Amino acid sequence: MKGLGVARRWAGLALTVLVAVVALTALPAIAQDAAKEPAYRSFPVIGSRLAVWGVAQLHLNFAAFILGCPIFAVIIEIIGWRTRDERYDWLAHEFVKLTFAAFSTTALLGAFLLFLFVGYYPKFWTYMTSIFFPTYGVYALLFFAETFIVYLWYYGWDWLSGPRKWIHVSLGVLSNLVGTAILFVANSWVTFMISPAGVDEAGALKGSVWAAINNFTWMPINIHRLIANIVFGGTIAAAYSAFRFLSARTDEERARYDWMGYVGNFVALSAFIVLPFAGYWLGREIYAFNQTMGITMMGGFMSWLWIVQAILIGVLFLGFNYYLWLGMERIPGSERYRKFVPPMLFILTIGFIVWATPRTLVVTLDEVRAMGGTHHPVIGFFGVMSAKNTVVNLMILTTFLSFVLYRRANRISVKPWARTGMAVQWAALFVAAAIVVFYGVYGYFVESIVRIGFSVYQVLAVLSCILIVMAIDIPMFKGARSTGTIRWGTIAPRSQYVLILLAVTFTWLMGLMGFARSGIRQHWHVFGVLRDTSAEAVTPALGYAANVITIVTIVFFALVTFIFWLGGLGEKGKAGAHGHAAPVIAGASGGED
Amino acid sequence: MRVPVGVKASLFALAIMGSYTYFANSIPQIESKPPQELSLEGGNVTPAQLVKAGEEIYKTKGTCEICHRIGQKGTRAPDLAGIGSRAATRKPGMSAKAYIIESLLQPSAYIVEGYPPIMPAVDKPPIGLNRSELWALTAFLESLGGTVDVKLDDIPKTAGAAAGGGAAPELKIPGDPKSGEQVFAGKGTCIACHKAGKIGASPVGPDLSQIARIQTPDYIMKKILDPASVGTVAGFPPNVMPKDLGTRLTAREYTDLVAFLLTLK
Repeated sequence: MKGLGVARRWAGLALTVLVAVVALTALPAIAQDAAKEPAYRSFPVIGSRLAVWGVAQLHLNFAAFILGCPIFAVIIEIIGWRTRDERYDWLAHEFVKLTFAAFSTTALLGAFLLFLFVGYYPKFWTYMTSIFFPTYGVYALLFFAETFIVYLWYYGWDWLSGPRKWIHVSLGVLSNLVGTAILFVANSWVTFMISPAGVDEAGALKGSVWAAINNFTWMPINIHRLIANIVFGGTIAAAYSAFRFLSARTDEERARYDWMGYVGNFVALSAFIVLPFAGYWLGREIYAFNQTMGITMMGGFMSWLWIVQAILIGVLFLGFNYYLWLGMERIPGSERYRKFVPPMLFILTIGFIVWATPRTLVVTLDEVRAMGGTHHPVIGFFGVMSAKNTVVNLMILTTFLSFVLYRRANRISVKPWARTGMAVQWAALFVAAAIVVFYGVYGYFVESIVRIGFSVYQVLAVLSCILIVMAIDIPMFKGARSTGTIRWGTIAPRSQYVLILLAVTFTWLMGLMGFARSGIRQHWHVFGVLRDTSAEAVTPALGYAANVITIVTIVFFALVTFIFWLGGLGEKGKAGAHGHAAPVIAGASGGED
Repeated sequence: MRVPVGVKASLFALAIMGSYTYFANSIPQIESKPPQELSLEGGNVTPAQLVKAGEEIYKTKGTCEICHRIGQKGTRAPDLAGIGSRAATRKPGMSAKAYIIESLLQPSAYIVEGYPPIMPAVDKPPIGLNRSELWALTAFLESLGGTVDVKLDDIPKTAGAAAGGGAAPELKIPGDPKSGEQVFAGKGTCIACHKAGKIGASPVGPDLSQIARIQTPDYIMKKILDPASVGTVAGFPPNVMPKDLGTRLTAREYTDLVAFLLTLK
């Protein structure tokens, strides 16, 4: 039986490598043949575009998960290693287990996507190969390296324990470095399609491939995706924990998955807070590359997409905060912070409403006459970027405050300078909020070119505040007096549905942003260089896109559930056998760090 | 009856996605369609037709409306109401027509005070207007308070050369252009309606002297095999081009004819 298990384990590795070898060795030959082929072929029934769209988004979802999850898994493993706390080691192993289960599916979807491009968009793929062929080999090598390192990391957990733990941790770090490099290579292809560089007017490469790689949107998307992958990995891991929590039969199990869900959510929230800043940078680079593209994205036919995005992000903000507030209920001593919840909810709600206010309303002719234009005389002011930038920054500050309060819920600082420290923290929060509001209001009185620059000051104010508050908070609560232990497992069950809400919403949001990224190219495969002359060159409306995104998200969660279930089957009854007995969490304290 | 957690969680997730999908379907639905190519070269186009074609380009392929308004001050770009007359006052010694053409092809040559230099050259990708489209767009802008006097020859011959976006592999037609010229003048009877450089002079159909520069090989091939599938050039009567031309020619004659037409630049 043991031999069978080992064989099954390595079958996954063999399959992954086989898929990669077949895909990559076939590339040059297929690409050459493609040059003689028609520009497009039609995928049966659903059409080529929909086929590529669905598979690409699924591949991206899985890839985001397997790249995001190991980033925080290795951090948790390091925490467990340095603190000698077995719970963290178990948790890191659990997260890597989830990653591992999804690894082969990611590779299979990637290979399928490649075959779709080669088969149904041969002219496009031939062109991309003419630019990026040197990167294919690099990608292949990195992929092999990543596969072997992740397998060794996962299967070597027991073997590389004790005095050899540093080797194991190094494997985790290495797998993340290689995974990030894979992401960066793949991003160079995607971003070149949006903002091509290093090519002449005819689209031919002018110099080295580096110029094509290092295009306007490459690094912003690298950073944006890296952070978003962490959020995504965190929300999926938290949703998995939520499901296990809700299915748990014992208090011990409930406590364990409550804690795991909390950590997943904490990871997601930490990365989510800085994600909008990466989004700003990406937006600015798109404008810098091509004003028309930027304006089309924000003010053209895609402008309503950002209203949908605002609603999704508003739901995420409310969800993250609500989960923290529910979580505080299981922390003795948190009662003193309850009074902050109503004002924080008020700010978040107002922020949500303002952010989701469209500039131009859907109205009848009579309503236009009554309003005196398509813009509402009052709420029309909330539809512009000055208002939206202001509220999103205030929502970030509020969420950060929720997190800070949660962090200190059962702790009282014993430092003599605690009062001063807290005063400085509150001052930092109020000053940051004042700067954000000031530039938000001032923005209404200046030209757009000046107004755009104000968002930088707002972002800097918020980031500075976060850094100042944390720089004081960490030493201030070192050795703090405890007001009681966290009652893990006693959190309200509805909190677990919040975790599921966050995972579903973020996955849907990723689909929407995928549509935005691809849609801004409109009828171009490679913007301004290679036209999409296929019958499906129309960029669909939001309703159609939403239908596709929902179907893809359902398929993704169905696959994830199936894969995790399969992974669970393999692990049943073995938890204690390989040194990863689930830890007892209930009643433990200090797990919130 | 106790509902399993899996069912409850799934229904909850479906309700969330359903609400997002419903909302996205309830707001304005706007598609972005690829622009159609406009060819007017050699055509008998009236100023009114030209202005109408230009207005269409202004609203669609030209993407001018993203930044410009007519009769309303924009924050990104100047109001174009009255530009037909105001253009003559922008640069001393420069006519309205010349200024408009310069603004379209070299937008940075003169920046209206108070506006950022963000306008792209409209004959370059991704907008990529061809000469016909530039001609029509200029006529439309002249019509906004001025006199429409632009001629095709006012648009530089080099304008729109890279309009279609490059990267398409060079198409090599196996035909012989010299034989194709004989087909054009002989069996194909194309010469009865079209001019092609030095040969032919009839005004019945569009002048094809630069057809390879303004149209794609795909268009030229389709126009011979199935003329109705690619429409009729503005200013010319429809259904004049013979539908059976493709069946009357042998495969060799067809490829020779296409090869000849592709030399007309």
